[in-house]
Amino acid sequence: MRKANLVISALLIFAVLLAACAPAAPPAPAEPQAAGSEAQPAESAYMQELIKAAQAEGMLTTIALPHDWCNYGEMIETFKSKYGIEVNELNPDGSSADEIEAIKANKGNKGPQAPDVVDVGLAFGPQMVAEGLTMPYKVQTWDTIPAELKDADGNWWMDFYGVMAFEVNKDAVENVPQDFSDLLKPEYKGKVALSGDPRASAQAQNAILAAALANGGSLDNVEPGLAFLKQLNDAGNFVPVAGKQMTVAKGETPVLLRWDYNALADKAILEDNPTVEVVIPKSVVLAGPYIQAISAYAPHPNAAKLWQEFMYSDEGQLIWLKGYCHPARYTDLVERDLIPAELAAQLPDPAIYEKAIFPTIDQINAAKEFIANNWDAMVGADVK
Amino acid sequence: MLNNQEATLADNKGKGVPLVRPSRLKWKDWLAVVPFFLAIFLLLIVPSLYLFFGSLQDAQGNFTLANIRSLFSDPLIATAYANSIRISIVTAVVGGILGFLMAYAVTVGGLPRGVRAGLVTFAGVASNYGAVPLAFLFINTLGRTGLMTAFISLMFGLNLYDDLNFNLYSFWGVSITYLYFQLPLMILITIPILEGLKKEWREACESLGANNFTYWVRVAFPILLPSLLGTMLLLFGNSFGAYATAYALTGGLINLATILIGQQIYGDVLHNVGLGYALAVGMVVIMAVTMAVYYFLRRYSERWLQK
Amino acid sequence: MKPKRIWSWLWIIVGGLYFIIPLVATFLFSLQAKKSGPSLVAYQRVFSDPNFYKTFLFSLEMAIITILVSMLLVVPAAYWIRIKLPQLRVLTEFVTMMPFVIPAIVLVFGLIRVYSGPPFYVTNTMTGTNTLLVGAYFIITLPYMYRAVDNGLASINVRSLTEAAQSLGAGWGRILLRIIFPNLRTAILSGALLTVTAVIGEYAIAAFLVGIKAFGPYMNLLGGNRTYESMALAIISFFLAWGLTGMIQFASRGRTEALPSVK
Repeated sequence: MRKANLVISALLIFAVLLAACAPAAPPAPAEPQAAGSEAQPAESAYMQELIKAAQAEGMLTTIALPHDWCNYGEMIETFKSKYGIEVNELNPDGSSADEIEAIKANKGNKGPQAPDVVDVGLAFGPQMVAEGLTMPYKVQTWDTIPAELKDADGNWWMDFYGVMAFEVNKDAVENVPQDFSDLLKPEYKGKVALSGDPRASAQAQNAILAAALANGGSLDNVEPGLAFLKQLNDAGNFVPVAGKQMTVAKGETPVLLRWDYNALADKAILEDNPTVEVVIPKSVVLAGPYIQAISAYAPHPNAAKLWQEFMYSDEGQLIWLKGYCHPARYTDLVERDLIPAELAAQLPDPAIYEKAIFPTIDQINAAKEFIANNWDAMVGADVK
Repeated sequence: MLNNQEATLADNKGKGVPLVRPSRLKWKDWLAVVPFFLAIFLLLIVPSLYLFFGSLQDAQGNFTLANIRSLFSDPLIATAYANSIRISIVTAVVGGILGFLMAYAVTVGGLPRGVRAGLVTFAGVASNYGAVPLAFLFINTLGRTGLMTAFISLMFGLNLYDDLNFNLYSFWGVSITYLYFQLPLMILITIPILEGLKKEWREACESLGANNFTYWVRVAFPILLPSLLGTMLLLFGNSFGAYATAYALTGGLINLATILIGQQIYGDVLHNVGLGYALAVGMVVIMAVTMAVYYFLRRYSERWLQK
Repeated sequence: MKPKRIWSWLWIIVGGLYFIIPLVATFLFSLQAKKSGPSLVAYQRVFSDPNFYKTFLFSLEMAIITILVSMLLVVPAAYWIRIKLPQLRVLTEFVTMMPFVIPAIVLVFGLIRVYSGPPFYVTNTMTGTNTLLVGAYFIITLPYMYRAVDNGLASINVRSLTEAAQSLGAGWGRILLRIIFPNLRTAILSGALLTVTAVIGEYAIAAFLVGIKAFGPYMNLLGGNRTYESMALAIISFFLAWGLTGMIQFASRGRTEALPSVK
């Protein structure tokens, strides 16, 4: 029995030490700002109502929002402390397809398993509308969002965009590839990867579309992109791994095709260890907008709406900008001269962005379908 | 119920103290076990039955065997099962053999007591090591820039990835990673079994003039075989049902039965709810057969190896 | 006729290398967060991340609740079956081995499908979801718990104790509380430690029910986004496993339990 007592005491001491060592909890949620904060104009009556209703619901469920993706981490924390609403984060690794599946799988579920809001690739917008998965809403700043990038009825609207780039681990490659054609060189054997499963991930699909544009295809013809991937795979240059920060840092996927903002975020986090270079391919500057939508079955519709209002306020837009993303209201912010100089400096060269090509929804959808139907057959890179 | 009464009466003979009142069991007597069985019923039986009956329904709710048939005919699912089974067989056999050899080394093999203690402790730790960090461990060892990859490249001039077409996120990589918890399990189970080999048998063999080889082939292995096979079945089942390590290693991109079920939970990727259930039921059937054979092998071997 | 020692050493060394090299490799990598040279900054970052503590304590909390629930359900049942209902022994043995047949991912699949929707809606609240989580953990640790308690009961001669207590006028409740539970302390402790080990790093069930609030999914999240911190976490996990295993061995008097754990 003495042994048992000893172990129990050890466990208790350990538990106490652990609780004591934990850093101080984040500051208690600020008093709900019903009347508006110092530097901003007083919240309109509508906003005050919305804030009250959202706080009554008390929780927001998000899905597939990695904290380093466009600085969502700060967005979530700021939202939490500003309004005192708890945020339940589902499946941070999820792809756009996963998010939509989650809405469908939880239609009758008003609990923490059901997402309130989704952030998916542009192509998924019409699909969501067709399947009746969205709750229409127009944020207060609706008019400053470019018309081509939102649904007229308010079912979805763009949140941010970046362009397709190469995230390169300089310590793991001799020469930094500058364009898609470079990727086929033998020196990149087993070094090139996509950031997800192309049958489900918008980011991966756009990478293939960019490859198509670089190889004689067009926004309407993504087949050369798949052919390029097939070439890459046959040459042994393609690594069938979903690339992320760790795989780049460790040299598993030293050349990763992903959005420039994600690459820039990784570069900042890794702090030069290893050195990451973000290259926007010379021949193709493909923009990839993502869209926001509120789930038609959202368990907390008011919290969802407040979340949208927050993200589309100037404050929210700047948080996204800090994450190296171009937020939807970028032009508007520029015109009103609201972007601090340091933030502007860390974004990629605006000259490059001038050349950015925005696919239309139909084009993206066609590409998505084509890839989903033909990936297995044409490339068939299946992890054994 | 009658047996119970007789047993207690027999116990009480001569003791003068009435223990359990020799009456039929009242409903109250079941009270203590009801919560236990109720919990198991609600949390284990009901979900299993739900999956089972769900697998036999099609989208409209009619009875159908099509889902079960799809398990074999659908290439995605068939491949997933095949991959899972292959990895499980490989890790069971390799883990079984290597684990046996290591257990042998510290018991019959005559190594110092300290080595046995160290091995047992380490095996305990390795088998309690989390599934997710295990993936990180092997990325650092056998990943492209892993320690062993670099070492092999240095020592033998061979690049695992380029020359030998090895890939951590594929069949062999996952198998080698799985061994980290398979091997300890084999070691921990086999050590007591080997120690259960009675010394008398060996002495009897020696006294009859047999040598070491004969002892092992004619006496020891035949006795050990059922429990060794049984333990390897346990290893098989352990690997077949594993999810987290493969997920953490490959980001969910490897085609295994468990990973496929995981995707199905997030959302109906198979676009057929019944098929998802069939997938789960198929796994349970394989596990059930495995565990049943394991159980019988163990009972059979316990007859010989009871201390 | 001693078998040649050299072979024994060979296998031990091969196995030993297999176990140790990955740990060494990970440890070395975890020290490289700063290009300037080896440093412990990755560990510092882990220990100053509030989510590390939040998720660890959450998982620990769930483990403790699971242990309490297990004890309350298993001990009276095991006791009763020994004393009064021996005819249930076979059924119970079967039932407590069943969790081995249902992989964790299948269990959570079934639980979510049954209890998430109509008519139960268990996952509509945080409390409900946590309850389901505890329920799932109860099932997967059942074989260990039951076996530990049953072995414990076997070793303390329950019949005599019960007879003695009854002859002194104790009722069943008293017997359980004052006699059975205290005598089973070692068994319960060993079961408890096994439960903590199984629950703390558990991934499959936690990921689908509570997501990144639990320790396992937290580690996985870090793996994707924080290279060096995740390696540091892997080493920290090792010491954690070592500590827990040590305590388990200590509590079970050197007998090392060898049941497959949830992977």
